[in-house]
Parts: sequence; C-alpha cells; structure tokens
Amino acid sequence: MTWEVSVPLQFATALPDDPTDAELLESCKRGEIQAFERLYNLHATRMKSLAFHLLGSRDDAEDAVQETFLKVYKAVAGFESNSTVSTWMFRILINCCYDVLRKRQRLAEKPMLKEVPAQSKLTLKVALERALQTLNEQHRLVFLMFEVEGLKHSEISSVLEVPEGTSRAWLFEAKRALKQLLTQRRQVNEI
Amino acid sequence: MKFECGDLERAFANPDLMTDAREHLRHCAACRDEYRIWNEISSTAKQLHQTWDSPDLWLRIHRGIEQQRPLRKRRWTQWKAAALAVAAATIAVVALLCWPQLMTFNAPTNGIRPATGSPRDFLTEQALRNVENSEAAYRRSIDELSRLAQPQLESHTVSPLVASYRERLLMLDSAIQETRSNVAQNRFNIHLQRELADLYRDKQQTLEEILTSGQRR
Repeated sequence: MTWEVSVPLQFATALPDDPTDAELLESCKRGEIQAFERLYNLHATRMKSLAFHLLGSRDDAEDAVQETFLKVYKAVAGFESNSTVSTWMFRILINCCYDVLRKRQRLAEKPMLKEVPAQSKLTLKVALERALQTLNEQHRLVFLMFEVEGLKHSEISSVLEVPEGTSRAWLFEAKRALKQLLTQRRQVNEI
Repeated sequence: MKFECGDLERAFANPDLMTDAREHLRHCAACRDEYRIWNEISSTAKQLHQTWDSPDLWLRIHRGIEQQRPLRKRRWTQWKAAALAVAAATIAVVALLCWPQLMTFNAPTNGIRPATGSPRDFLTEQALRNVENSEAAYRRSIDELSRLAQPQLESHTVSPLVASYRERLLMLDSAIQETRSNVAQNRFNIHLQRELADLYRDKQQTLEEILTSGQRR
C-alpha cells in the first residue's frame, strides 16, 4: 500500500566560488548569464581603463566594453581554447576600440584628447599621459597593458598574438621613448 | 659584455648587465638619476589606471545579451512555456474530474457500499479488486513463510526469544483477523486496508526473524 519513488532532481549548474577559466568558458558556452556576469566582475574594471586610454572618453570606453561582451556572447560557442577567455576578451576589446577609432577617422573627427588641467608645470602623471599619446601604437598598447593594467607578458603576448619576447621588447621601446620625452620636458622646465 | 657608464638602456634590455649596472649606480650620480626616471615611469604608470562606477553597464550588457539570444532559442523557450501551460491546464482539468471519485474512495463509508453501475463506481470497484487480489497473494506468501517457521515455533526446547516471537505472532494473527473482519464490512475504507497491510508486513518481518535466528543457531 505504500511505496517510495525517488526522482533525481536536476538543478541549474551553479558556478563554483572560484571558477577556473575552463569552467567559466564551459558555462559561457552553455549560455549561462551568471558566467558572463562573473567575467564582467573579474575583468570589466581593467577593460574599461584600457579602453579609456585608447579612446579618451569614459562613455566610449563603456560602449566598447559592452560591445566586447556582446561579441564574446555571440562567438563563445566557437571559441577554441588556444588562449584564456580573459586574453581573448582583451583582444576583442582592443579590436572594438580600433573600430571606434577608425570610425572617428572616417568621420574626420579630431582625435579625442583627454582633458588635462591647464598648468604650466605639468605633474609627472599628466606628462606621462601626454607622452603616451605620441608613442607608436604597439608600444603604447604593451605599456598600457603591462605597466598600467598589470597584465603579464605571457598574457599580453596572447592578447596581441606575438611572441613573449616581442612584448618585452615593445615595452622596453615604449619606456625608452617615454624616458626621452620626460627628460626633454624636465630640461624645458628647468630652462 | 661589460656595463659602461651612461649605458643603462642596454642594461635594461639585457638583464645580464644589470648586476654590473647596479654596482655602477652606487658611485655614479648621473646614471642614478637616469635610473630613477626609468623607475618613476613604472610607478607613475600605475596611477594612470582609471576606475569609475558604471552602475548600469552590466544591465546594458545583460539586456544586449537577452536581445541577441537566437530567435530559435527564444521560440523554443516560448514553445516550452506554451507546452507547460497546456500541461498544467490538462492536469487541472483531470484533477477536477477525478476529485469527487477520490473523495468517495478515501472517505470512510461505515460499511455502506457506494452504489455501483456508473463508470466511476466501476473504477472504484476495479481498484478495490486489485487491492484485494494483492492482499490475497500477500497472505498466501506469508502463510508459506509461517509453514516454514512452524517447526521452530513448535519445538520442545523453545528459547525465550522464540517464545516471545510466538506471543507476538499470536497477537498479530488476532489483530489481522479483527482487521479483516472490519475490512469485510467496510471494503472501501482505505485506512483499514492500510492497517491490514501494515499488520501483514509486521508478521512477515517476525517470521523472517524467526527463520534467521533458527539458521544462526
């Protein structure tokens, strides 16, 4: 007269507290929004900062980050894990920023320069920011990723798809150029 | 390769030279100054990192992702929702139709057999017949088990344990007899049927214990 029926209950896969890159990738491939939110929480701050340095405006930087996530969502199913999700995202972000810059060029906009305080003697920070604008694009990118956003050379090489040695060399070139610019500035200020 | 004064750049590019370069920096103010500039670039660069709150950025991304979900997926979700709604409606209709029947089956009838003839009564009758058939089969199996345990129960040298088993069986048999007579008067009472099944189960368990204890000895 009595019986027991055990029905295996199925719950939505919950992400672990500290998911590995592979776990995040799998969850993203399943289209789980939580996984994208986790990626956002992990990387959005650095992505916004990098985009800001490339585009010169916070609004544009946010738009680029948004665009990046939408592209990641669209393409994640076909993503082959030759690199990590995070480096792949940074690569997409940089391409998004370049798209915006190209669009600006087509519309013949003047390159957007960040507002800097009008001071006769610029602080080193502002001087560095200005000097960065004059650098070769690749050198600037490596400098921003390594020195400003704290990415490792192994990560940068994966983002830019260049050997690690190239990333190191570009960083050295960037710093050498910056040093020259800052030394000149100091000499001018001393005069 | 040897480090030369004013050649810090070469030392930065070539880590092998750095040991010599550091040694040189102790004595050379000009190189020390240059070295300071190199370090200043790195330390100042950290300050260029930009942080600001973007309270609605994730919401925008979330909305964007939702809009980008493939149409196929959205259609599938809509289809699933429709299917679930249809299933829920069907269950509700079936439950409404069966409710009076279930009430009749569960309610104590005090020996009054419900009128037969309608299709619903036939279903009740059929269900009851199934229960009775199962009960008869169960009773036959337990009788068989009793027959196997009989030699131990009727042995001349009965242990206190077996004596207590015998007493329990007598009690269970009397309870079974009483419940069966109640069931006979009120065949549709599901509680009595359950009680009877529980008593049979107890008897089965007791007989199994007797047989197991006999094997151990």
